[in-house]
Amino acid sequence: MRTVFQNGKPYRFHVNRILVIGVIVAGFATPGHGQDLARKIDALIDAANAEAGQPVAEIADDAEFFRRVNLDFSGVIPTVEESKQFLADTDPNKRARAIDRLLGDTENYARRMREAFHVHLMERRGENKLWQAWLEKSFAENKPWDQITREIIRADFRDEPNRGAAFFYTKRLEKSGQNPTDYPGLTRDVGRLFLGIDLQCAECHNHRLIDDYNQIDFQGLFAAFSNLTLLRLEYPAVEEKLMKSKLEYASVFTGKPREVAPRIPGLGEIEVAVFEKGEEYVQVPDRKTKTPGVPKFSPLTEFAKQIPESPNFSKNMANRLWFLLMGRGLVEPMDQFHSENQASHPELLELLGQEFATKKFDIKWLLRELALTKTYQRASRIPEEKVAPPERFAVAVQRRLSAEQLMWSTILATGHEPDNVQLEDIEPEDDDADEIPGLRSRFHDAMANEPKTPEYEFSPSMKSALLMMNDPEVLKLIDAMADENATVDGLYLQIFSRLPDADEKAEWTKFLTEAKDRRAAVRDLAWAMLTSTEFVVNH
Amino acid sequence: MSLCTPAEHSFSRRQILGAMGSGAACGLMHPAIANEIAKNNKQVLFVWLDGGMSQFESWDPKPNTRFGGPFRTIPTALPGVHFCELMPRMAKLADKLSIVRNMHTQDNSHSAGVPRILRGDPANRGVTYPYFGSAVSKLLGPGESGLPPYVWIKPGSGGFKPENAGFLGPKHGAIAFGDGKPPENFSRPETISDEQDELRNELRRRFSDRFAKGRKPTANEAQSYVYDMARKLMSRADLFDTTKLPERDLDRYGRTELGQHMLVARNMLEAGVRFVQVTSYGWDTHGDHFNGSASLIPKFDMAFASILEDLEERGMLDNTLVIAMSEFGRTPRINGHHGRDHYPEAWSMVMAGTGLVPGAVIGATDAEGIYVDAPQGHDIGSVFHTWYHALGINSMKEEFYNADQPLPMAHHEMEPIREVLA
Repeated sequence: MRTVFQNGKPYRFHVNRILVIGVIVAGFATPGHGQDLARKIDALIDAANAEAGQPVAEIADDAEFFRRVNLDFSGVIPTVEESKQFLADTDPNKRARAIDRLLGDTENYARRMREAFHVHLMERRGENKLWQAWLEKSFAENKPWDQITREIIRADFRDEPNRGAAFFYTKRLEKSGQNPTDYPGLTRDVGRLFLGIDLQCAECHNHRLIDDYNQIDFQGLFAAFSNLTLLRLEYPAVEEKLMKSKLEYASVFTGKPREVAPRIPGLGEIEVAVFEKGEEYVQVPDRKTKTPGVPKFSPLTEFAKQIPESPNFSKNMANRLWFLLMGRGLVEPMDQFHSENQASHPELLELLGQEFATKKFDIKWLLRELALTKTYQRASRIPEEKVAPPERFAVAVQRRLSAEQLMWSTILATGHEPDNVQLEDIEPEDDDADEIPGLRSRFHDAMANEPKTPEYEFSPSMKSALLMMNDPEVLKLIDAMADENATVDGLYLQIFSRLPDADEKAEWTKFLTEAKDRRAAVRDLAWAMLTSTEFVVNH
Repeated sequence: MSLCTPAEHSFSRRQILGAMGSGAACGLMHPAIANEIAKNNKQVLFVWLDGGMSQFESWDPKPNTRFGGPFRTIPTALPGVHFCELMPRMAKLADKLSIVRNMHTQDNSHSAGVPRILRGDPANRGVTYPYFGSAVSKLLGPGESGLPPYVWIKPGSGGFKPENAGFLGPKHGAIAFGDGKPPENFSRPETISDEQDELRNELRRRFSDRFAKGRKPTANEAQSYVYDMARKLMSRADLFDTTKLPERDLDRYGRTELGQHMLVARNMLEAGVRFVQVTSYGWDTHGDHFNGSASLIPKFDMAFASILEDLEERGMLDNTLVIAMSEFGRTPRINGHHGRDHYPEAWSMVMAGTGLVPGAVIGATDAEGIYVDAPQGHDIGSVFHTWYHALGINSMKEEFYNADQPLPMAHHEMEPIREVLA
């Protein structure tokens, strides 16, 4: 008997129980029980494929869909019991019900979204407890995206419950070696991650290849962000300096001096309000009591108000959420929104941007609509062996699993509870070198990208192979699978979240039957499944 | 082993091992570069003397001059060419070298200068260029060895260095063997026998290949590739072990850190690793420079001369490009701490091997070693072009692609040093 967890509450099942699967309903529960948006999405994708003569994959079978949606919304494969129930369920509406149940499971949904948005927003720069807690709470409450953005952009240390949000700034403003504080890098990331525009090449001159990206766009953001000071407090915090004039800059090409006030791309400049000496502060800084100052003229306050009005704000996040579920953005690269780089489906992108804004940037609502589409629910097999370019969304993309998704899934697939395995807390500040690193850092070190590199594609490294082949702690997890009563059906359900087809079942049953040491054979089979391509991608 | 051999998937351990031994197993190669491999079997040994080697105490001595320092010079195998007396063994090999004595580069700081030199200092196009090792990894691939194409043997910590790859993407980064030792999780636990390991990996392949059927193959190729490469490296633990080498080798290379690391590098090159970088630290001699040189340079001399001799003896110089250099040279002026400071204005680097004219001495500095002779000297961009050409890659024509953005392989306004190209 082994235990698994479901929503953090372990329950028990027998591995050696002969699985009574019942008659699995032929065909598929119909997607498209969604609202208008899901139907409109499918209509646009289908029309484009029809026009291009692009054959599309069938709808994924129940098991593939169920694994996919669990990984997407709870960040972990389903438990055996969940899979069995879902596969046996004859309700034609069961996919929509599964989506709603997963989105309604606040604890797991919030953890998963915290993990996903941490990677999205911090790109593996480091961790911070207040930041993680703030992110998780934000998704638990289903905070609208504009509110999450405002809290990050404003970074108001007086707003105690949301202090963690400032980590977006503070981590980027840390000094690295002898290099100057990377204000340009922070400016660039705000453009990339919130507005879908990479202004790196517009810092010193108008972008030479992209007409839409001008130096003023970079400098207008830079005016506000280069005005920040990193504070050394026990929580992440920045302080705005007094701004007394516009920012002066010049193009390296023309040398012509220019100036700009804080400005969000696509919007007007924010007039710099200058106050008399002694009148500049809402809260005067006091270095003795370590009380930071709050100037009356606060560009961040204005930015936080205005940023949702920026032309790409809604489309950027709609595109990112589309990527999260479909494995490829409508606009690619995702930080290259401009007129020379059209979306694969421009009308669809407009629609998503409008609807997301109309629904007041409700992330959960948009994720639900996306998950209800046929487009999301397509199989990952290519129809008729034909090439299906990923930007057609004719076949499900085999997506990278994050280090976190792989860790949780490996724990669950080897029959463990998260409470019983060694997961050290996130303690970024006091790395204790003597402590044996737990599973979290093992998976993180082997599977996550290096800092500052986005994790968009499946790109395994040799260290992930070395971890799975040789790491004693990981092998210990897998050794627990050695069970002479294990069945092929049971292993497939537990690890692959599906049942074997007839060939697979025959092959591995024979393998296990002929094994001299059946326990060892089960363990080796489990290892091979956990390291196979099928397990390490979301397909 | 009958356990894992259902008739339709008959699997012979001998076959697998045989295939790995011969290096002919296509599965070990990344398919995208399979064609390249057939064309090019060249390798690179890149010796990096971090901190800045002094040209005065090595390749370009200026004895009996204002800034010449205390050391004498010795004649070399090249008539009329002298090296510093701290390099007796390299002096005998001077006719194998191509010596560039008029290096003239742009950066005199370590933090910016090291990556600038290692990335070839191309014109700024808003992208991060790859280190030379990453570029070679991308262009030539791992070759038939199936071993990682870009390895870096260095003192201190090791690990994976994807940042070296710049826009080429993390998989072209270096794998660094800190202290010449293998990476974390390198050794298979003793509890897992050879047989079990073969079995579990054969099972993995079967699961993966079945999954890949009818699906886009790239995910499975990537996943299989990293396992194959990891296993290939694990099978060559001997590459890291210098203790079993003949005493004579250990003595010739010097029983020093650099000597040991150079022997590991020799093993790696013999095993077919495409690009091997060996780094030696501690060359930033702002103080007590002459005692420092008297210690550092002979260690380098022994190790570098030994590997050159061995590569030549094994016929490997015909295929191997050998480079030894720093991020800059050192000042003529001797500072108040008997040191020499950073000097990118006029310094030296050496190359040998494939595609080069042996015994070529390129450029010169003035009598006191302050200026280079030619108006420009040679910047690192033209050196990069030279290396690419020596490896059979026409960097004046070929381009990198960063997504759809075509990028010159090396500085677009510079050219290879034609005089050293064979």
